[in-house]
Amino acid sequence: MKRRTFMMSTAGVAAGLVLAPRMSFAAKGSIDWYTSSDSNILDFWTNTVKPAFEAANPGIKLNLVDAGDGAGVIAIGERAIAAKKTSTDPQADYFEAADALLPAGAIDAGIYANIKQAGLANYSKVNPLAIESDYSLPYRGSQVLLAYDTSKLKPADAPKTWEQLVTWIKANPGQFVYNRPDKGGSGGNFVRRAIHQANGLDPKAFTVKNYTPEFGDEALGKAWKLLADIAPSLYDKGAYSSGNTQSLQLLSQGVVTMIPVWSDQVLQAIEQGVLPAETGLVQLQDLALCGGFTRSVVIENGANREASLKLADFMLSEKMQSAILTELGGFPGVSWDHVSADLRKRFADIIPQTIPTFPGGKWEAAINDGWYRHVAPNVDRKA
Amino acid sequence: MSDRAEGAVRPLANTAASRRPVGLLLVALPVFLVIWLVIWPAISAITRTLWRIDGNGHAGFDLSSYAFFFSDRYSLDNLAVTLWTTLVCAVLLLAICLPIALYLRFARGRLPAYVQALAILPMFVPSIILAFAFIRVLGPNGVVDILLNAVGLPKIRTPYLTPWGPVIGLVWDNIPLTVLILLSGLGSVANQSIEAARDVGANALRVFWHIILPRISNSILVALSFSVLGIFSSFTLPYLLGPASPEMLGPFMQRTLRDLQDPVGAMTQAVIAFGFCIIFGLFYVRSVARNRGA
Repeated sequence: MKRRTFMMSTAGVAAGLVLAPRMSFAAKGSIDWYTSSDSNILDFWTNTVKPAFEAANPGIKLNLVDAGDGAGVIAIGERAIAAKKTSTDPQADYFEAADALLPAGAIDAGIYANIKQAGLANYSKVNPLAIESDYSLPYRGSQVLLAYDTSKLKPADAPKTWEQLVTWIKANPGQFVYNRPDKGGSGGNFVRRAIHQANGLDPKAFTVKNYTPEFGDEALGKAWKLLADIAPSLYDKGAYSSGNTQSLQLLSQGVVTMIPVWSDQVLQAIEQGVLPAETGLVQLQDLALCGGFTRSVVIENGANREASLKLADFMLSEKMQSAILTELGGFPGVSWDHVSADLRKRFADIIPQTIPTFPGGKWEAAINDGWYRHVAPNVDRKA
Repeated sequence: MSDRAEGAVRPLANTAASRRPVGLLLVALPVFLVIWLVIWPAISAITRTLWRIDGNGHAGFDLSSYAFFFSDRYSLDNLAVTLWTTLVCAVLLLAICLPIALYLRFARGRLPAYVQALAILPMFVPSIILAFAFIRVLGPNGVVDILLNAVGLPKIRTPYLTPWGPVIGLVWDNIPLTVLILLSGLGSVANQSIEAARDVGANALRVFWHIILPRISNSILVALSFSVLGIFSSFTLPYLLGPASPEMLGPFMQRTLRDLQDPVGAMTQAVIAFGFCIIFGLFYVRSVARNRGA
């Protein structure tokens, strides 16, 4: 008896050892897909993209994996570089959201496919404003805009420029709140809009490489003055919510009248009834609030490169781009001309003329630190 | 284990020598984990903040990050608000939990069982859910405001996004642990000694002060040092309920590391937090040691 047990377990272990390495190889025809986005994106892919893509491409399956955050995807990218050097399987094919420049040297190492030269049928539809690199594919975007309670503010009176917004905030103390700039992009891009305002409304003045402590102090210092100036007129005389959702909550509870919001979050909130259907949305016309695109990359040395490029092309199809608008509440990655006419009409208010962006890198740390030190404590309140 | 129990049960292994390695093996895993996950990172943080590589590539003893922390108004404000929150929470916890524990110890009947269940409930509520429930109830235009409005009273000044927000959340969150520890301490107060004191005419206050308090002072110390350690390093509640500035050390550290990409600054804050926690921890260790000695 004992002997038989021993034999069986030995055989089991041996079989396991033989099978285990095989099983960790990426299966051909199953795209290993990773995301660093929030769960609403993963839900969208699970419930909308995966069934549609698998139905359209028999024999190809999607293996959707949540990589956690940006650092998680970068770590898998590093693994792909290592796999490339040893000519092994990176077990990764597609990153839903990635920066082609990260991990450093990824493009030189040759792990990202050149999307521009890959011959995607729909590539020409991509919004040229959104293209950042030949190696990444902007397939969805979102932008920060202002959401307001139409029962307290008539759409005709909604501010259309920064000056009007500041006038409105001061005339209606306690009715505006934005979140801490590092805790969510809605407040973060509101702060960046103030930086643009203080520096001649020129988004091109700021680049990833032109940060120096002197220029930073000067450019940001002017913005801190603007923001400190409106602070006493904000909700609770200068309180800042701790995230995008918390701002939405204050608006939905009728505590404040206006907040900056991410377009996808506010459209989803309206869809789900968290905010009433009458919620007003407005974009500043002198210079829009910042936004950004989410870019996917295809792993060049992945086992399913061709299938992944098919998936990338599929994401640019009208069906998927419309789903991004209607189901995800995001902006399409393709130009608005390639969106169906009725959707274009429905979202006319929020179609951006321009999508200003703000560089990350050292600017980001400088903004986060500076805001907490100069705006959040309400230093001037003592006076 | 009481003396009687030791006398009654025959030891499983007869010789002390054969038991020793097993005992050591049993503690080896937790000790190893503590060294690996707590002590080693702590030592590494201390050395990496003190022994740093300067601009010229020379490694050397460097106190500059600590000098910055203690000369920076903003960092000191954050430290001050952390200490204030911890102190206020400790006082409030004692004021709330001691009466509950006394009630549970001395009350008879079915009601105390329900009270105890209610007091333990926060243990099973994740703090992130607590935070959003708090915003719904005590937040602006929340349930409390609606109730006040219904009876024609003015709205409250909501504690949400003020230093009192985390205080209320943290106190609620720490009630179960504190009540349980105090209750176990009260278990050592003999009914006879209280009856004896009553017989000689002591009133409730005197009984509490002269009979109960001396017996449970140790438990109070343990309960407070436990909750204080947790509160000092708390993250979720101050992050979601507290003001943007000053912020408690938990959110401050996280922000310094992730958003400001300043690991040395974050580690310095962590080492300073260790320092304070060691002081609180010493109270606990001292009280345990005193208990063992007695």
